[in-house]
Amino acid sequence: MANQETLVLDDIIATNRRKMLTLGVASLASLAVAGLGVPLAKAAASYTDSDILNFALNLEYLEANFYYLAAFGTTIDVANAASMGAGALQITLSGTVGTPGTVSGGSQVPFSTIPVASYAIETAVEEGKHVQLLLTALGSSAVAQPAVNLGTSFQALATAANIPGGASFTPYASDDNFLVGAYVFEDVGVTAYHGAASLLTVPANLVTAAGILAVEAYHAGLIRTTINYIDPTGTSIGSYTNLISTLRASLSQAGLLGVAPSPYDSNPDDYGLATFSVSLAGGANATATRLTDADPTNVIAFARNTTQVLNIVTGGGAVNGTTVVSPAMGVFFPAGMNAGPNGFK
Amino acid sequence: MDKLSTLINGAFSRRKFLAGVGVGAGAVATLNLSACGSSSTTPTTPTPTTPTPSAPTDADVLNFALNLEYLEAQFYLYAATGSGLEASDITAGSASPYQTVGTVTLGDAAAVPGLTPAQQEILNEIAYEEQEHVRFLRSALGTAAVPMPDIDLSFFGPLAVAATITTAATGAGSFNPFSSFDYFLVGGFIFEDVGVTAYSGAAPLISPAGVAAGYLTAAAGILAVEAYHAGYIRTSLTGRAIAAGSNAAYPYLGAANLVEDLRAMLTVGDSAAPSTTGSVETLLTLPTSLTTPSSIVAASAANAVGFARTVNQVLHIVYGSPTVGVKSGGFFPSGTNSIFATTTA
Repeated sequence: MANQETLVLDDIIATNRRKMLTLGVASLASLAVAGLGVPLAKAAASYTDSDILNFALNLEYLEANFYYLAAFGTTIDVANAASMGAGALQITLSGTVGTPGTVSGGSQVPFSTIPVASYAIETAVEEGKHVQLLLTALGSSAVAQPAVNLGTSFQALATAANIPGGASFTPYASDDNFLVGAYVFEDVGVTAYHGAASLLTVPANLVTAAGILAVEAYHAGLIRTTINYIDPTGTSIGSYTNLISTLRASLSQAGLLGVAPSPYDSNPDDYGLATFSVSLAGGANATATRLTDADPTNVIAFARNTTQVLNIVTGGGAVNGTTVVSPAMGVFFPAGMNAGPNGFK
Repeated sequence: MDKLSTLINGAFSRRKFLAGVGVGAGAVATLNLSACGSSSTTPTTPTPTTPTPSAPTDADVLNFALNLEYLEAQFYLYAATGSGLEASDITAGSASPYQTVGTVTLGDAAAVPGLTPAQQEILNEIAYEEQEHVRFLRSALGTAAVPMPDIDLSFFGPLAVAATITTAATGAGSFNPFSSFDYFLVGGFIFEDVGVTAYSGAAPLISPAGVAAGYLTAAAGILAVEAYHAGYIRTSLTGRAIAAGSNAAYPYLGAANLVEDLRAMLTVGDSAAPSTTGSVETLLTLPTSLTTPSSIVAASAANAVGFARTVNQVLHIVYGSPTVGVKSGGFFPSGTNSIFATTTA
């Protein structure tokens, strides 16, 4: 029931939204309180479900092309024997909003182990279906595939993360390198869908977004588990996950720009596979893996707003000092994301 | 549109959901962009032939989740440490209509023997994370938190018999998830995909006020953690089967699939349960080459969107019964402490 508290809350929401518009910033997760069925806030909002889903579509273009290239050696719009053999969709790039770009870099990984190869193929197939689902749902509102850099981008990120040999790092060289490349994406997808979930206004869209969120978390769990099995003591690729997570947390915090984070975002908002100490059932402290990327107290996955996510996938391109840069450009999105007039880029 | 009609529409959609014709059966995940802010669309009258409970409160929804978290936490804590939740984590909130604190029937429950240090750390992590989910939900509910209901951890044996696992994985013996790491994985498998889908199914039940209070975002974040866990369990079963080389050499993968078959069978009694064309189960596979996909993610084959289960579907599974009108059984011998305690469809 509406009560005094929710009415006050609505006023706060409306005020904050206006402030957001003034700033021209999409600080979404911090306004997660303004979700389904809060009409006052909705009237003040400048974005639509399409804007949110198009933001997701940009991320899915990125992920799907990465996995298609790694698993099949082709981009999502071109079928080859490998992609057809796996049953991967050939995507017709039907999105028209924004500026179409090309995909650069990337090549088929010479996989040597069945687990990693089979996971790459499965994930490629699933990310392709996410692209197709969003394209179909958005129809003529769908954004075009932007320019995507899947080559030198990894070297830039690996260098920034201080991964040994980062300047020449390529995720396409081996099973291990592929896992590190995949690690870069998966937890980010979880936080992006989590941050967006409560902003969707159509209940059916919420359910679907929750379903995609689950799949991204399955993928993230898969990648983290596999890296942990290969390097349980964190002497090689396991240690890289800590470096990558530290970088992501840093870029995420920089993307806040003074805006209050989501109640389910904290600093840091990313953890690699380094073990941590837990208290179980009132007993002595025990050592635990960190196969789940979540806050260590409530164990709820992190939620990032769109600027935080943009700042990660552009390697800091969303922020200049204390100012938002829009469109954010760099690293994986050299020309920025595509978005509608009031969308997120 | 005014706030009151939003709330009324929300209540209608929630009742519809409870009646089993809502958005819960995740096989029909859709995106709807035709009516942004469509909580203003015309409410549909609930199906008249189905009893229509009054709309649940947010506390009812969270308390249902708490019942499930009690179960998961007890299972994982006993498996990791041989002890269960602390007494202070299972008490009744002063305002809860349920005041009797349940007990745990242990059966074979004990710390899993023979674990490697790395495996022990993984069990510690999951146990800790489920323990913290219990604490988070109890904290969020405050005085409304229900106490732990009676929990029967000896139900794994009868459940495995029902799933015909005894002939596949354990020969003539009885199934005991506390006897080894591999049996533990199958035990965990019983819960994890269900946890993911339960949160997906519950998300639309949260009221607008609850969304404003952050419950939806919290639920989405817990959903993600459950999916990380499910990804871990499924990745481990698949990876160990690949290492063993065949289903015969690693019968636990087949046992997990028998659990999936049983879950599907149990929900047949639910009138909203999907038909064979809309299963909410994704069977594990054993990749045998570098070009075979794995089947880690449990999601719709059409669009790779994670499934949702209704409250009823979840109850059928944890009660181990396909029957309508059942209010206890299986893992909950005295029922759940919840307004949803009885299967109604």
